[in-house]
Amino acid sequence: MANVSGSTYGLTTLSPIIEDNKLNLCHSMQIRWYLSQLPRDHRSPFAQLSSTYLARLVVMDDVVFVGHPACEEHLKSRYLLFETNFDGDLNTYLRRMATEAGEFVNAVWKHCVGFPGTDTVDAFITYMKTCQIETTFFFADVNDQTVESTLNALKTQAALAHFMEKHEGLPPADLQAAFGKFVERLHNAPPLPRGGDESRNIAQERRPHD
Amino acid sequence: MTRIDVSDIQGFALRGYNFPYARYLLLELAPAKQARALLRKLLNVVTTGERWDINNKPQSTVNVAFTHKGLEQLALPLASLLSFPLEFQQGMRARSDILGDSGTNAPERWDPVWREQYVHAWLAVNARTAEALEARSREMQQFIDETGGARLLQSQDAGAIRLHGKFSTSEHFGYTDGFGNPDFKGAERDCVPGQGKLTKRGEWEALATGEFLLGYADEAGELPVSPIPHLLGRNGTFMVYRKLHQNVNTFRAYLDAKGKHYQGGKEKLAAKFVGRWRDGTPLELSPDMADPTIVADPNQNTNFTYGEDPAGIRCPLGAHIRRTHPRDAFGFNGGLVNRRRIMRRGLAYGEYVPEGQPVSDSDERGIIFMALNASIFRQFEFVQQQWIEYGNDARLGNDKDLLLGNHEGKGKFVVQGTADHANPPFICGALPNFVELRGGDYFFLPSLTALAMIATGTVDPR
Repeated sequence: MANVSGSTYGLTTLSPIIEDNKLNLCHSMQIRWYLSQLPRDHRSPFAQLSSTYLARLVVMDDVVFVGHPACEEHLKSRYLLFETNFDGDLNTYLRRMATEAGEFVNAVWKHCVGFPGTDTVDAFITYMKTCQIETTFFFADVNDQTVESTLNALKTQAALAHFMEKHEGLPPADLQAAFGKFVERLHNAPPLPRGGDESRNIAQERRPHD
Repeated sequence: MTRIDVSDIQGFALRGYNFPYARYLLLELAPAKQARALLRKLLNVVTTGERWDINNKPQSTVNVAFTHKGLEQLALPLASLLSFPLEFQQGMRARSDILGDSGTNAPERWDPVWREQYVHAWLAVNARTAEALEARSREMQQFIDETGGARLLQSQDAGAIRLHGKFSTSEHFGYTDGFGNPDFKGAERDCVPGQGKLTKRGEWEALATGEFLLGYADEAGELPVSPIPHLLGRNGTFMVYRKLHQNVNTFRAYLDAKGKHYQGGKEKLAAKFVGRWRDGTPLELSPDMADPTIVADPNQNTNFTYGEDPAGIRCPLGAHIRRTHPRDAFGFNGGLVNRRRIMRRGLAYGEYVPEGQPVSDSDERGIIFMALNASIFRQFEFVQQQWIEYGNDARLGNDKDLLLGNHEGKGKFVVQGTADHANPPFICGALPNFVELRGGDYFFLPSLTALAMIATGTVDPR
């Protein structure tokens, strides 16, 4: 199935945006405004949905005429394009969107035709699947690893580099003992902090990997 | 077949002069009328790319380049001014975010001449002797005085470091520098192995002229973005000028400290930092020892690739020369790097202090780094942003170039290795800034024709 690459799922939806000429600020502009205010760090809704690799939202007004010999074409409506890729199956991800990022989802999709809200999760899932189009090609950088296992691997790599530098030149027996402790500490490490800038500011004592 | 008119191109754009003395006069231009009078004086003395008669080599050379502010001062028509590439219009100071010039490298920390003023023109004198340098500099000052065409903001001296009584191509950290510069079509010398681009057959050939000179086809078969009218750009190029201060004490102390723990020894670690032993021997060709015969042989000293060393066992993936000129390291026979090449011109400044003698970081000492390319955005800025200040292309995450990176005490450099006790894996962490940026800007180095048009106020974009 084209929507899946390895263990990564690529979701693309196109949701028609409500047309209402009576509004001062049309729905598509309201979406743009809201999106422009969203935090881009660890407070981003997609940082909360921790299985997300990459996500983007685009407000599409119309097809841009690029000049002759292209012909002039138009969309039937304005659309909200949503693309995301993530670990696991679609139902689980959509359920998490509704339950863990409901405020964000409602604030964006309430401007779209037929959006049922997130109070009834099944209705939301059905709506998103109705808007879904097949994703034939998407970015799946590490498609046999989860976001969490990739982050863990990166942290482990950084921790190992730190360990190597700190213990350079130690006699073999001492090195082995220290390595044993290091591995044990890695095993017992608490879960990784969520992505985003906040992780840089976590106090040293909460960063056993370092 | 590409033909270039060497008599219309400034010599500095075609070759490094290899003269041991240099002085860069940083000028603020007077209003256009006087400034143009100064340029008309310079027209007679600017050194072109013509080949020198073996019995009549010049004692000194003169070249000139302008910032966008300088071209404004020269009253170029607005349509021409606005047709220059955006990054040149903005200048280097405004590009600091994307270049990673923050913290100690931020514009607020630059030398006053780059921080508080706007340099309009770079007037460069290169000379064989100290006397020739002084004589030519006096002539330049005389031109300035006679025409009232400019005010000298600063005079920056640079020159070859003298080792054992002889001029060398060494820099302050002790590395022999200046081996590679990309060959391009139409330039006078034949393609030197290792200095152009790789072909699918694994051979080296010259790059497209348009990667380095405006008005010629580039590696994409297109003309590089160039100002209008065509004659204003043709045979010209863009120059990046960066004054790079070197913290020699910090470098030596760090290398000493780390070298004690590295089983390959201090000198090998120094070689791993750069990808060449300090005498210039490429690690790819001689991973275990420096070899002066390779250094001396132009058919060998830049003639190597990384394809057989994908894990960085000989030359680390993050070594300076592997980052900045990756050759075939990214696959596709080197095809991914051909539009990211720069020509380097550069000379040391400040007094050289031999190894073992006390040296201070705070002394004025470093390299005046100059790079020439057809597109500062596509070439220099890409190399600086992606290959110096980032590591993803080299599969090194966000590690930076050890020597030039803006580390601020963080970051690491990984020496890949094997179970061989003389070539073990090794980590260098807590990297200080070995090099700090003290200022600079983006310049346009016009052709002789363009210089004459600017000097006579006849640039006509219509």
